[in-house]
Amino acid sequence: MRYFLILFAAMALSQEPPVKNPHTDPTDIAAGAKIFRSHCAECHGRQGEGDRGPKLTTGVFFHGSTDPDLFSNISNGIPGTIMPSIFFSPDQVWQIVAYVRSLRETHNTSKPAGDPARGRKLFHEQGCVGCHLVRGEGSVRGPDLSLIGSQRSPEHLRLAILDPNAQVPREYWVAKVTYENGTEYSGFLINEDSYAVQVLDFARGLLSLSKHDFRKFEIDKSSLMPSYQRRLSPAEVDDLVAYLWSLQPPVAAQ
Amino acid sequence: MRGLMSTKFLVLILCMAGLVRAQVTYERILKAESEPQNWLTYSGSYKSWRYSRLEQINRQNVQNLKLAWVYQMPITHRFETTPIVVDGVMYLSEPPSNVVALDAATGRQFWRYRRSLPTKINVCCGQVNRGVAVLGDRVFIGTVDAHLVALHAKTGAVLWDVEVADNRTGHAITSAPLVVKDMVITGIAGGEYGIRGFIDAYDAATGKRRWRFWTIPAPGEPGSETWSGDAWKHGGGPTWVTGSYDVDQNLIIWGAGNPSPDWNGDVRKGDNLYSDSALALDADTGKLKWHFQMVPHDVHDWDSVQVPVLVDTEWQGKPRKLIYWAHRSGFYYVLDRQSGEFLLGKPFATQTWAKGLDEKGRPIRNPGIDPTEEGVYVWPGVQGATNWYSPSYNPLTGLFYLTAWENKGFYRKGEVEYVAGNRYIGSAPKIDLDDEPGFGAIRALDPKTGDRAWEYKLHNKPWAGVLSTAGKLVFGGSGGWFNRDRQEAEGYFFALDAETGRELWRINLGGDMSSSAITYSVNGKQMVTMPAGSGLFAFELP
Repeated sequence: MRYFLILFAAMALSQEPPVKNPHTDPTDIAAGAKIFRSHCAECHGRQGEGDRGPKLTTGVFFHGSTDPDLFSNISNGIPGTIMPSIFFSPDQVWQIVAYVRSLRETHNTSKPAGDPARGRKLFHEQGCVGCHLVRGEGSVRGPDLSLIGSQRSPEHLRLAILDPNAQVPREYWVAKVTYENGTEYSGFLINEDSYAVQVLDFARGLLSLSKHDFRKFEIDKSSLMPSYQRRLSPAEVDDLVAYLWSLQPPVAAQ
Repeated sequence: MRGLMSTKFLVLILCMAGLVRAQVTYERILKAESEPQNWLTYSGSYKSWRYSRLEQINRQNVQNLKLAWVYQMPITHRFETTPIVVDGVMYLSEPPSNVVALDAATGRQFWRYRRSLPTKINVCCGQVNRGVAVLGDRVFIGTVDAHLVALHAKTGAVLWDVEVADNRTGHAITSAPLVVKDMVITGIAGGEYGIRGFIDAYDAATGKRRWRFWTIPAPGEPGSETWSGDAWKHGGGPTWVTGSYDVDQNLIIWGAGNPSPDWNGDVRKGDNLYSDSALALDADTGKLKWHFQMVPHDVHDWDSVQVPVLVDTEWQGKPRKLIYWAHRSGFYYVLDRQSGEFLLGKPFATQTWAKGLDEKGRPIRNPGIDPTEEGVYVWPGVQGATNWYSPSYNPLTGLFYLTAWENKGFYRKGEVEYVAGNRYIGSAPKIDLDDEPGFGAIRALDPKTGDRAWEYKLHNKPWAGVLSTAGKLVFGGSGGWFNRDRQEAEGYFFALDAETGRELWRINLGGDMSSSAITYSVNGKQMVTMPAGSGLFAFELP
């Protein structure tokens, strides 16, 4: 029923009739993968993890997430970006679409076992909202989790809860600055150039700090988030993962 | 390991709970002019003077201005933004509907919000945006797909995102929102798509709509007698430039644009209220207190979409609350802000459409000015004698400054049929006449008489507004649109003596200027910024 509603909404929204990819079996995906590696991987990474071009593993695409959107963007390129057009046959472009779809990190994972409602309760009780933002509620001391279920696999989410230091995105590294006059700053390292660093200082907000009089400048690449290994039971971790996984875009991509 | 991280976590929480940088409260916006180091709202203050008390840069030293930094947008499109500056952080919008936070001292980026948009967007005149509004730890933007979005000021994270209207029927938001109390006020664009215009107020915390004022009344409502048939349903009256707020009277003063269809008025007989009108709305309810229509039954696209300048001063010997309004049709108006009463109207540029205004301010039209199938020449042209770009009022000189166009247009009338989501205009006039393109100027008016105090003439017609400062300077930009085929566009950013109009400094920035300058100070240094081409240019003294 839900699927039907989504499909119906998509039909109502688009002005052309929806087109579904006619080439989606494993041989198509394999053929698409071959073309992807020789033509797309240079910018999007061999596994679609992103490099100069965006990451393709979230199931959500900036220039449109429907099959016709992907077909058109792969065929014709995207004006105003470095994404070029290509000259493969329509069948081959559909195979690339099939492969790109298969890259979705959460695509082939089944729904995690825990109870999302209990997980949501834990999310509030355990203080997660003190740092994370979910759909406008919470804080910005950690990543925005509003759509995290479409961006990360359940395995990744579990790892992030149990061992936050396993992967710390660059924008959550912590800069610690001491000036010659003894003034200290500490905050997320947002940006750095030859002359200054831009930080989200924990006490003072957004700041640009001139490097000129730095006495000490350290970057701490560990996570500010505590491990929940010993704070939660395995069942509770399951519930929390299920809740995070439930945070999907309002209208799911196909 | 666990102990170590917990300590670090605890320290973070304590730090965050401690010193928090002062936020932009409503009280701060109320007194925006008393903190000139910041630029807290679209026109600088609720009175919309686009004036700053900063005077570090002044007539004696302005010739020493040098480039401090340039911020280059990663896309090429018209850059119409007015940045907001809060305690060293600059928030600006980029076309089509993106937001960037920059360090106001260096132009280095803190964060970016990049909006994913539908492939097809219906918006008249470019997918542009004129700026954001700020309240508390929130930054608000209206988008070309007609949503209003609240972002976290520290990270750009989306806090709420609401649909204001349906873009597929030609609704779009290009103007900066205005924060009043705990509300975000926004206008709507779509006068070329036959929308029914409105002004909306949203709860800044939740995004829930508090009220809507329809600029085109429905049958039975006051003003509906000025429409024929069902024309009101697609009657236009868009509200695409940020208005002002009269704090004492709790009135939002905002302009409404052209009736639809623009150049063929046959289907909409009557005055077509409240198109081309100045509107005063109760800020808490959105109820109309008064209106003043500049052009009844407009067939030239002369929107009343200018920034209303609010001034309390003596008028004929008595203190009075006034509005100064230089209108697209070529007339400068003074209105009473309590009643909307017409006090003065005088042309500030060549116009051939009206013999004058009667005692109520209603135009006395000349014959033969309406568009015909063959076309007629009328002054001013379709882009008006001025337009949406900002004027300025300087209390030290007592002068009103504006960008003016001297130009005529060729107005043609054509057939028109309403088809949802498509243009609904009734033909299209010729804008730039090759044999007589006209010219532009920065003009200073005595606001109490409408008489011209001085003029700084420009070869081309500019799309940039003006800023004036306590350094007795007026900043403006020269014009033309840069494109592949036309060579005549110029891209000068300049500073004039606010008392005489004499040019004191200029620099060629080599791109379209479709915005107005602002000024602020950071680390004790006054900065002046102007968007040109794809760059935002910041100047300072050595």
